[in-house]
Amino acid sequence: MNIVVLVKQVPDSGADRNLRNDDNTVDRGSANNVINEMDEYAIEEALKIKEAHGGEVTILTMGPDRATESIRKALSMGPDKAVHVVDDALHGSCAVATSKVLAAALGQLNADLVICGAESTDGRVQVMPHMIAERLGVAALTGARKLTVDGGTLTVERQTEEGYEVITAATPAVVSVWDTINEPRYPSFKGIMAAKKKPVQTLSLADLGVAPTEVGFDGATSAVVEHSKRPPRSGGAKITDEGEGGVKLVEFLATEKFV
Amino acid sequence: MTFDLTSEQDQLRDAVRALGRRYGHGYFVEKAKAGEHTTELWAEAGRLGYLGVNIPTAYGGGGGGITELAIVCEELAAAGCPLLLLVVSPAIAATVINRHGTEEQRKRHLPGLADGSAKIVFAITEPDAGSNFHRLGTVARRDGDGWLLSGRKCYISGVDEADHVLVVARTEDAGTGKLKPALFIVPTNAAGLTRSKLDMEIVSPENQFLLYLDDVRLPADALVGESLDAGLPALFAGLNPERITVAAMGAGTGRYAIERASGYTATRKVWGGRSIGSHQGVSHPLAHAAVQVELARLMIQKAATLYDAGRDLEAGVAGNMAKYAAGEAAALAVDTAVQALGGAGMTTEYGVATLLGAVRAGRIAPVSREMILNFVAQHVLGQDKSY
Ligand SMILES: Cc1cc2nc3c(=O)[nH]c(=O)nc-3n(C[C@H](O)[C@H](O)[C@H](O)COP(=O)(O)OP(=O)(O)OC[C@H]3O[C@@H](n4cnc5c(N)ncnc54)[C@H](O)[C@@H]3O)c2cc1C
Ligand SMILES: Cc1cc2nc3c(=O)[nH]c(=O)nc-3n(C[C@H](O)[C@H](O)[C@H](O)COP(=O)(O)OP(=O)(O)OC[C@H]3O[C@@H](n4cnc5c(N)ncnc54)[C@H](O)[C@@H]3O)c2cc1C
Repeated sequence: MNIVVLVKQVPDSGADRNLRNDDNTVDRGSANNVINEMDEYAIEEALKIKEAHGGEVTILTMGPDRATESIRKALSMGPDKAVHVVDDALHGSCAVATSKVLAAALGQLNADLVICGAESTDGRVQVMPHMIAERLGVAALTGARKLTVDGGTLTVERQTEEGYEVITAATPAVVSVWDTINEPRYPSFKGIMAAKKKPVQTLSLADLGVAPTEVGFDGATSAVVEHSKRPPRSGGAKITDEGEGGVKLVEFLATEKFV
Repeated sequence: MTFDLTSEQDQLRDAVRALGRRYGHGYFVEKAKAGEHTTELWAEAGRLGYLGVNIPTAYGGGGGGITELAIVCEELAAAGCPLLLLVVSPAIAATVINRHGTEEQRKRHLPGLADGSAKIVFAITEPDAGSNFHRLGTVARRDGDGWLLSGRKCYISGVDEADHVLVVARTEDAGTGKLKPALFIVPTNAAGLTRSKLDMEIVSPENQFLLYLDDVRLPADALVGESLDAGLPALFAGLNPERITVAAMGAGTGRYAIERASGYTATRKVWGGRSIGSHQGVSHPLAHAAVQVELARLMIQKAATLYDAGRDLEAGVAGNMAKYAAGEAAALAVDTAVQALGGAGMTTEYGVATLLGAVRAGRIAPVSREMILNFVAQHVLGQDKSY
């Protein structure tokens, strides 16, 4: 099975993250950039399918030059190769434009299965798998907590608020996964050393036949006009237990309509 | 000289850190207190190739150097899991066998050390020969094709977990009084080899043992390099990797203690709304310890870089200095952390006092701070030897 995993480089969600003041885009320059956490689960799932059914795993990333670090890191977990879409004109692209570029790259990769994380920790819009599936004209199985492959049939347990749904589709398809699906492996030292020798193909917009005007700020269907930091959390209510702490707690919960 | 980590070394650091943190100090202490070993962590690190980073790829290792192994030691310790046997098995035993063993010995032993499925521990110290290993009393006598080993060893770490023990003996015909050491790879279940566990005041999943060798019969190929001339260089080959990795373990332990303490003091409030970390009486000792740990790390990187570049003599000076600095810094950092946590510092739960024994031992073993100062005084400062 030919599997492509979408991997995005994002600022570390464990550290301070900011938007840039000049153009309101994510500040990637000063951040510690890492693989989007959910994408590690996507990589793990792809590797497990390859181990069980054979085939090839390709990493696909759209991002600036420095995204190479994340690509190498992804490759150190075990995928075979990577494709890096990099072009200065991409800066400022909206979700619609990003899906166009990724779909164009996928068009050259002939994937039976595209796996990605259910959301990215920076954008958090959760639309990419749907948009890409739409552009490719294939099924979208999103929010998976379990994925089984049986020949050309994919079965997914789709995580919902109440429980899960079971849905099936034929390949080719796009599957997005939550972090409940598996436990991503640590890269082995051999994997780390092998990653630097694995092929990484870079593609420009021209290679993909996408015009610069269709992407970036120019082609954006939406733009962040203004941003401000969330105000710091206020202290909240502190209840000191002087014999009637329990009563006060219940009173608080009642006024907030929790009980 | 540049000590910048390559991107692969950086990735190794991240990966080992993530693995170590998943286990954490709680796991380490639980194993130690139950009298068990960190088997799961060792096995997982072995499968991922972290234990064998410095062993050549031809024997199943990662093909890296001591720089990589020091990263593994430091990051596991920084996650609260200082694994002493890393210093013994992959650092000392694997280096000795790789550099001075026969091809047959390399093929037999290195793959197991590389994936962690086998361990070889190291026995040099004797009741009357610790700092002064010229007084080794363990003797190897010729017995037909093979050898007979007799003597006593003490404080030998990890014998209960190991398949083999690398025993430093002297050959009988060294009647001149000059040490002619010979290293033997002895199965831990060899007839005539017995052990008894020492009670130590260290919270550690690794134990120390007294070893009795009573005419232990060994085949010719148990002798490292199968030649008596290999003895001295083989013995010295293990020293630099030992110094550098034990220093890395100390620096990692120091980082761990400072992280625990500064996390605590930043939020602990004793007087009104201010954190105790805002009092310089608390923050300065922690900052001072952090400086010492960072300086030790710098020296470790220098020593590892020199060693990996094949500059053994310079690595010897740097490695000894790194071991000294890291031993002192780790002891300072843990003691300072305990103090900063107040009563919590002495609890098992907060996981800093649990390291007091280990960092204290780090100023004695594997080479004491005094013997390093002797080395520096003689070999760097050109002073006469006093002993
Ligand atoms: C936890 C632990 C694990 C160990 N694991 C191993 C192991 O796996 N294998 C192994 O072979 N050994 C092991 N050892 C032994 C360790 O290497 C020795 O304890 C160490 O080398 C010191 O030797 P000693 O204990 O005989 O002390 P001694 O040599 O008796 O020294 C006692 C004190 O005198 C000082 N001293 C001695 N000579 C001088 C001098 N000339 N000038 C100034 N001061 C001097 C020393 O620095 C020390 O403070 C371990 C020890 C410990 C504590
Ligand atoms: C073995 C043991 C037995 C004990 N037995 C008893 C007992 O029987 N009865 C009992 O009541 N208590 C007992 N205690 C508690 C002990 O008295 C307290 O742990 C001690 O008073 C310190 O308080 P703390 O732990 O809250 O530390 P904290 O007050 O939180 O102090 C933490 C650290 O901050 C430092 N610090 C705090 N404020 C300042 C400042 N303004 N300037 C500079 N530094 C500052 C402290 O010196 C300390 O290093 C015991 C503790 C231990 C460890």
